[in-house]
Amino acid sequence: MTTTEKPNMIEFRDVHKYYGDYHALRGINATIKAGEFFSLLGPSGCGKTTLLRTIAGFEDISSGAVLIDDRKMDDVPANKRPTNMVFQSYAIFPHLTVEENVGFGLRRDPRSKEEKAKAVAEALEMVGLKGYGKRAAHALSGGQRQRVALARALILKPKVLLLDEPLSALDKKIREQMQVELIKLQREVGITFVLVTHDQEEALVMSDRIAVMFEGQIAQLADPETLYRRPNSRKVANFIGTMNFLPAEVLSEGAGGIEVEAQGFGRMTLSSDQVMSGEAGQGAVVGFRPETLTILYDSQTATDREVMGTIEEVVYFGDMTYYDVKLDGTTEALRISMRNVFGRPVLEIGTRARVAWSPGALVMFR
Amino acid sequence: MEQGAARGRFRNSEAANGLALVSPTAIYAILLLAAPLAAVVLYSLMVDSKVGLSSGLTFDNYLKVWTGRIDQALMLRSLTVSSVVTLVTVLLAYPVAYFVSFHVKPERKSMWIFLITIPFWTSYLIRVFLWKVILGYNGVVNSGLMSLGIIDEPLTIINYSLGSMIMTLAHAYAAFAILPIFVSLEKIDRSLLEAGQDLGESKLMTFIRVTLPLSMPGVIAAVLIVFIPTIGDYVTPELIGGGKLPMIANRIEAIMLKQNDKALGSAIAVTAMLIVTVVSVVFLLLNRRFLKGQSK
Repeated sequence: MTTTEKPNMIEFRDVHKYYGDYHALRGINATIKAGEFFSLLGPSGCGKTTLLRTIAGFEDISSGAVLIDDRKMDDVPANKRPTNMVFQSYAIFPHLTVEENVGFGLRRDPRSKEEKAKAVAEALEMVGLKGYGKRAAHALSGGQRQRVALARALILKPKVLLLDEPLSALDKKIREQMQVELIKLQREVGITFVLVTHDQEEALVMSDRIAVMFEGQIAQLADPETLYRRPNSRKVANFIGTMNFLPAEVLSEGAGGIEVEAQGFGRMTLSSDQVMSGEAGQGAVVGFRPETLTILYDSQTATDREVMGTIEEVVYFGDMTYYDVKLDGTTEALRISMRNVFGRPVLEIGTRARVAWSPGALVMFR
Repeated sequence: MEQGAARGRFRNSEAANGLALVSPTAIYAILLLAAPLAAVVLYSLMVDSKVGLSSGLTFDNYLKVWTGRIDQALMLRSLTVSSVVTLVTVLLAYPVAYFVSFHVKPERKSMWIFLITIPFWTSYLIRVFLWKVILGYNGVVNSGLMSLGIIDEPLTIINYSLGSMIMTLAHAYAAFAILPIFVSLEKIDRSLLEAGQDLGESKLMTFIRVTLPLSMPGVIAAVLIVFIPTIGDYVTPELIGGGKLPMIANRIEAIMLKQNDKALGSAIAVTAMLIVTVVSVVFLLLNRRFLKGQSK
């Protein structure tokens, strides 16, 4: 199933937001599909949280429109919107028990007391907190609070669940575990999830589509693979993962592709979808992801092309080793990541190395 | 040897350091708080006669106080006045604290708090006296109303009445009530209020279900801070009540100094203290209930 078949759940139409003179959101246009796991990714201050809060109704917009399920939200207050939020601080009510927190939004629910209690118990079970109902909220760990916040929001069966950096306060292990659980949970309940995060890895792991934001604008909106393989600007490329850049020059443009001469790599022909234009004022560059370059060992031969270089730095990561290699004829070293395989020694600084590469794996920005 | 080692360990221990650090404060507290209190309790168990305090201990004074019509009536009046003052003060202080905490810009808050404390720059006595000027028989209110022709002769209900005493005391303790409530409101994580609305509650219901319970520790602190000193207030009944509506403190003064019966006066004082203690403990227990679950 492709996302294009699904109806729109959220639509931003030229959304602007000013705080006094500060232009926080600068013309956001995007649609989020029903049932999608959508992420707003960007550095702090890029407006991603502000945008999320315009969906929840905590932030008025200065101009434009926010639609949820084809309905304009201009005059709909936060408590009447079909959205629920998991706050960055979790916002667990400290004076209530876990049960009371989860059941907070059920006050006007017409169901009987017993049915509500059953719903609360089910919600707690869904997030893996079975039997925690009677505990005081302050006696919970960060990960447990997170789960309570999730149960409290999902019990109301919202059309959209908003998550404001929900995992940033957790330590690495629990964070990774929660990422997987959130993905599973989203598939299970089928609700549209909108996640705000500054962690590119988290966004790549969890999302169906990602909007990368800088300075109040969406720089690129695409699925994780496209974002990683074909970033549309150097800024996006740098924000998502690592990318090596080398100066390049366009020799000729034709129907068959673009002839390029790149420092250290020589001449190559690129297809037009590999070339991202629109970065005025900066010289053209070609960009490589570290894993698209391979250091060749004695008996190996390159499948495509090969250049020579000298290893300048070695960073050992256990499963991976990062090498900084200065290719002959280049001014700056390139970062190359190699998976550590049994029987393949980690190379030393100063070693001459053959580097295999392929023109198909790079992107050009001009 | 072993003893010396133990002593050395004690000297270096945290407990010893703690005791050393706390001792100036402890000595101060013992000399100025505990010792006078003990003296009053001791006096209350003696009999004061022309020749001096007796050496034998007796509960006679307490019997006299607890069965005495005047003492009972004055104690009840004190309790009533301070309860009403507490209620009025806290009810008026909460909206002020709420406004400063939620509707004043963060950079302006300290200025607001500063402005609220301005009345405290003059002494309590002068503030009470000024209320006498305003509410008195020939005071600002009466002469104003008379010159406007609204009344023909001075209103007596606004002077020398319980109402005017309550008004004076409520004003005098307003800031004491505003500050703890303000602090407890400030401590509330604002995302909790957004969460309340996000979960479908209106602003009013969010206030009732989230803000109010979370600010209760401040409210209870305000209740204690206002209730305890007002029950023993001496100046206001004297100046605003004109001495015609004495409270328990005025009674103690009369017995102790005018009748020169230190023993009986001490017994009244101890009795009043016990009543305050009981009321305070009830509120402290309530506070514990609200504080429970709020420490992160």
